[in-house]
Amino acid sequence: MKISKQEQREARELFRSCLVNGVLDEGRARQAVNLLLELQPRGYVQILSRLHRLVKLNLAQRTARVENAVPLSPAQQAGLRASLEQHYGAGLEINYVTQPALIGGLRVQVGSDLYDGSVKNRLEKLQESF
Amino acid sequence: MSNLLQEIEAKIAGAKVATAKQNVGVVREVGDGVAKIEGLTDTMLNEMLDFGNGLVGLALNLEETEVGAIILGDYTQLKEGSEVRTTGKLLQVPVGKGLLGRVVNVLGQPLDGKGPIRETAFYPVEKIAPGIVKRRPVSQPVQTGIMAIDAMIPIGRGQRELIIGDRSTGKTTIGIDTMINQARINKAAEAAGDRETRPIYNIYVAIGQKQSNIARVIGVLEEAGALPYTIVVVASASDSATNQYLAPFTGAAIGEWFMDNGMDALIIYDDLSKHAVAYRQVSLVLKRPSGREAYPGDVFYLHSRLLERSARVGEKYGNGSVTALPIIETQAGDVSAYIPTNVISITDGQIYLETDLFYQGVRPAVSVGLSVSRVGSAAQIKAMKQVAGRIKGDLAQFRELAAFAQFGSDLDAKTQALLERGKRIIEIFKQQQYDPVPVESQAAILWAVQNNYFDDVPVDKVKDFQAKLGQYFNTRKPELLAKILKEKAISDALSAELKTAVGEFKQTYR
Repeated sequence: MKISKQEQREARELFRSCLVNGVLDEGRARQAVNLLLELQPRGYVQILSRLHRLVKLNLAQRTARVENAVPLSPAQQAGLRASLEQHYGAGLEINYVTQPALIGGLRVQVGSDLYDGSVKNRLEKLQESF
Repeated sequence: MSNLLQEIEAKIAGAKVATAKQNVGVVREVGDGVAKIEGLTDTMLNEMLDFGNGLVGLALNLEETEVGAIILGDYTQLKEGSEVRTTGKLLQVPVGKGLLGRVVNVLGQPLDGKGPIRETAFYPVEKIAPGIVKRRPVSQPVQTGIMAIDAMIPIGRGQRELIIGDRSTGKTTIGIDTMINQARINKAAEAAGDRETRPIYNIYVAIGQKQSNIARVIGVLEEAGALPYTIVVVASASDSATNQYLAPFTGAAIGEWFMDNGMDALIIYDDLSKHAVAYRQVSLVLKRPSGREAYPGDVFYLHSRLLERSARVGEKYGNGSVTALPIIETQAGDVSAYIPTNVISITDGQIYLETDLFYQGVRPAVSVGLSVSRVGSAAQIKAMKQVAGRIKGDLAQFRELAAFAQFGSDLDAKTQALLERGKRIIEIFKQQQYDPVPVESQAAILWAVQNNYFDDVPVDKVKDFQAKLGQYFNTRKPELLAKILKEKAISDALSAELKTAVGEFKQTYR
């Protein structure tokens, strides 16, 4: 079912109220969802799905995906977390993925920012430049 | 061999750059040439986006959770979930003299199969128009070769003159005639080694035209030898709305290079009605709110920012000019519709073509009453001012009195004379297509009209008389024409020479 402008607005307001100092507060988010299910205002299903999308996008901005050809050691992981948090603030959720196709180097994506230092990427860039 | 090795080493060194931060997003929805992308938080407006496999797009809608982008190229390759990257660059096109004689698409890629384009620079497609301080008043003429226009509605270098009319009234033909005339003038100046005459380079932008029409135009230009001075930018009817939306801006960018480098350019947008329609499609698919006639709210800004880039700039700022001839097609002669009124208020005058006149045989079907050039005689050489200054007024009087023409013999001599003169002037302004008349011939013929040499020629023989007079000047008195062209004015001496020449011709004319 298509979501109306009113429901979009309400979902956005609800989402903004879940933010504390610009960061999403999990407790508030849970509270919001439970309230919606309890009170069931008009169009609550649409509002819920829009809220879900907004939370998903916000969490994606706070999530880092680290791909490496070989698994990282705990020391390396800690170092990486430190430098990422220095740039993006604390509370980052980091997912480590082993991707042999990268051959070597690191590929880090934090939200929309991509730092691709893998050998695969460099080879592709080399190929393009010819 | 060693060169090759050095080259490869340099390229490898170039590729070993530090890992730069890139901004990525994921395509969520694709359709109708538009992609909705999630992520891409650092995108800027109008930024070029890379969809992979050489496909590019422009970010047009920056919303809270997503970016709406239009795709330049084959969007059917895109899938939901494809990765998109920002490039940090604006859309740029190749510009320079290497484009002359070529047919290119919106991105500057060649379409004529004559090999790659040798560009001099890359200019952004969207650019802010020159400011007030940079501009210079328009004072040099653009000779269209069409007598009706050069005499009564003269166009100057740096002016925007709208060509407006119904379908099949000769709008594109005026543009083609102008381009052919510029090529002729350029060639003559080159052959004579003339350093003073600045050549005008043509740019023809075809927006939403049938490919057969575009091919015909290119054929005509080639036959007339005008193609080496012309650049053709093509976004035909089968191209996507995005390409049709961006094509005029590509043309403007190409023209700006000439303007910035001390040269003059003439750009013909054929036509802006189809451009507005393409922009409407792009806007509606991007879910932007629609206004009057379903056009988006900023359709005026679309054309104003395009046409403001045609200007004459001062010596310190490039010393060049771009003259624009936008074309608008009206429906049933309705100039008060939305897009025509918009563009009329932007341009420095219009040439209004009427279907009635066209079918009466007056071709070019220029309506003298409704056509105007806001630059006017500042853009005419003195010779034309001397002979053509009164013609517009004479024709206006003729039109007023034409209703009384039915009363024939009941009118006084003065009115009769005006009527007869008006009929002859209208005959003289009729012209074949693709056959522009050089300005010195125009001045000579109009001088003959002003000095009553045409008054005793029957109306149906006026065209024949004019053609033979033109031939006579070309074959027997070329030095007289050359003098008029050089001095750009008709002095008393020249006037006397013209008197003897036309007198001679009249005696021998049957």
